[in-house]
Amino acid sequence: MRIYQWLDSRLNLKSVERTLLDEPIPGGTSWIYVFGSATLFLFLMQAITGMFLALYYAPTPDHAYDSIQFIEEQVTFGAFVRGLHHWGASGMVVAIGLHMLQTFLYGAYKPPREVMWMVGVVLFLIVMAFAFTGYLLPWDQTAYWATQVGLNMVGTVPVVGEFLMKVMRGGEVLGALTLSRFFAIHVLFLPALLVSLIAAHLFILRRVGPAGPWTDARASLSSETFYPRQVYMDAVAMLVVFTVIASLALLVPFPLTDKANPADTSFVPVPEWYFLFYYELLKYVHGPLEPLATWILPMVVILVMLFWPFIDRNPARNPIRRPVALGAGAVFLLVVFSLLGLSLKNLYAVPRVDPAVARGQALFAQFGCAGCHRIHGVGGAVAPDLSFVGDKRPDREWHLKHFKDPQSVSPGSFMPKFPLTDPQLNDLTSYVLSLKKTP
Amino acid sequence: MSEHQGDGGEGGAYTPVGTRRTFFGWVTTVAAGLIGFGLAVPLVGYVISPALKRKEQPWVDVASPDELPVGDPKQLDHVTTIQDGYLKAQSQNAVWAVKQPDGQVQVFSPRCTHLGCGYRWDGEVKQFKCPCHGSVFNIEGNVVAGPAPRPLDRLPSKVENGRLLVVFKEFKPGTKDPVEL
Ligand code: FES
Repeated sequence: MRIYQWLDSRLNLKSVERTLLDEPIPGGTSWIYVFGSATLFLFLMQAITGMFLALYYAPTPDHAYDSIQFIEEQVTFGAFVRGLHHWGASGMVVAIGLHMLQTFLYGAYKPPREVMWMVGVVLFLIVMAFAFTGYLLPWDQTAYWATQVGLNMVGTVPVVGEFLMKVMRGGEVLGALTLSRFFAIHVLFLPALLVSLIAAHLFILRRVGPAGPWTDARASLSSETFYPRQVYMDAVAMLVVFTVIASLALLVPFPLTDKANPADTSFVPVPEWYFLFYYELLKYVHGPLEPLATWILPMVVILVMLFWPFIDRNPARNPIRRPVALGAGAVFLLVVFSLLGLSLKNLYAVPRVDPAVARGQALFAQFGCAGCHRIHGVGGAVAPDLSFVGDKRPDREWHLKHFKDPQSVSPGSFMPKFPLTDPQLNDLTSYVLSLKKTP
Repeated sequence: MSEHQGDGGEGGAYTPVGTRRTFFGWVTTVAAGLIGFGLAVPLVGYVISPALKRKEQPWVDVASPDELPVGDPKQLDHVTTIQDGYLKAQSQNAVWAVKQPDGQVQVFSPRCTHLGCGYRWDGEVKQFKCPCHGSVFNIEGNVVAGPAPRPLDRLPSKVENGRLLVVFKEFKPGTKDPVEL
């Protein structure tokens, strides 16, 4: 307190404090206004966790994967910090979505706040760019193939697409240059841009003031200062957001898939959930129509969003008196969420290679099991065909016993005992159990 | 005192006062504190993590004891793979091996106990000499002259299957007693 007084007498802080905290909110404070600050809070958390991740991360193809694995497995709280950054990214998309929805519902983009809305739309696009560039950085299979798809979509833009894609990719292949430019854009260019636009967004907010309730009559009835009640609501909202993100980071692990392997084309890439609706859309539009989905439609959507305050000329802010705007918004959300829902249905069906399975397969080869057993037409026919043994014998315990001592579970079997260590037993069992008709 | 305090200058914005104001301020502080604590603890652990890791000290095969002549110290390569963050790196060190008349092998750390310079063996006078500040050690590693505060540091060694195995360690220079780093 004494320090504050000392500084205040020199820097005249009291007036700054008053400007920052005594901003009047027309119509009073409200829980509905917390989404903007929640977004800002998440951005700060992303910035902080990102800086800390950079302590261990190496943006080169030969080290990126290992460095993230190191963070996940060796660094104290490493998985938690990475989890915060990962779930924070999702949280940010949710928060920004709710913030925009609220602005839209309240008609807060209407004059004199058009510029603030436009800056907001650009901020949203920057957040999406963050998501896209950040997705590649772990350099695992998901990252590699999802980015491959994303870049190829850029390539479908007529005339300039090919060139644009090569610029983004940094040359002929998705490789070292792609990774370093995505990294630089993610950690240097975009943050600089985002910070300046957030500053602009907030500057405009202070110039024009918050919009308040949609009826001017109610707005002018009362007005309340930003501090202490709105600050308290924002703080509570931030704590809730933090608790949710931290719990997700603690409870839902976000493991790496295998290291990026350009040769393994069997991998089915899945983008993050907020790009899923778009990914799904591409399944329905083929051939000559493809550019429609890959760039004409997104372009139109972005332009409409950007210039929405000028398209919607209805001066009313009350949602009930804006059926056209609300209808358009509802249809848009309906389309996006149906596509998202469709996509999510397929999401968990994507096979992820369990490393134990690969190790088990290696053991199978090493011990010459194929001399007697046949799998998908390869191997001897002396012993049972194992192509779909995972369906026939899904019981892990049985296999563990069986490998140790085949006669103990199937009397009369002439299969020899194999000298396996416990982890080897486990790996081999995982492999055998993975042999199913339905993966 | 009334619940709301008018502020004519700013369009009639009111500010909660009294216990309400205290409550809002208190909740804000607690929320900020919880978030700060929830971030600070893991982040500090995250940063200091590498400093808490104990270096692994494996036994490394450096030579066959039969190749070592009695009374003539030999400098041997001590090569290990160490974990350097997410990289596996080769770590090269040299150790001094001295075979005693009874066949036992004594292994010395290659750093002078004074300030850590590398010393060498002077075969003429049968002494280890440090070029930096003139410390001199005899073949047992004891200080004969110079500022060195303690004998040469001995490294754990053993002979297994006819091979000499050594663990490399580093010690703090300049102290009376050896302090492992
Ligand atoms: S370091 Fe050897 S004498 Fe000083």
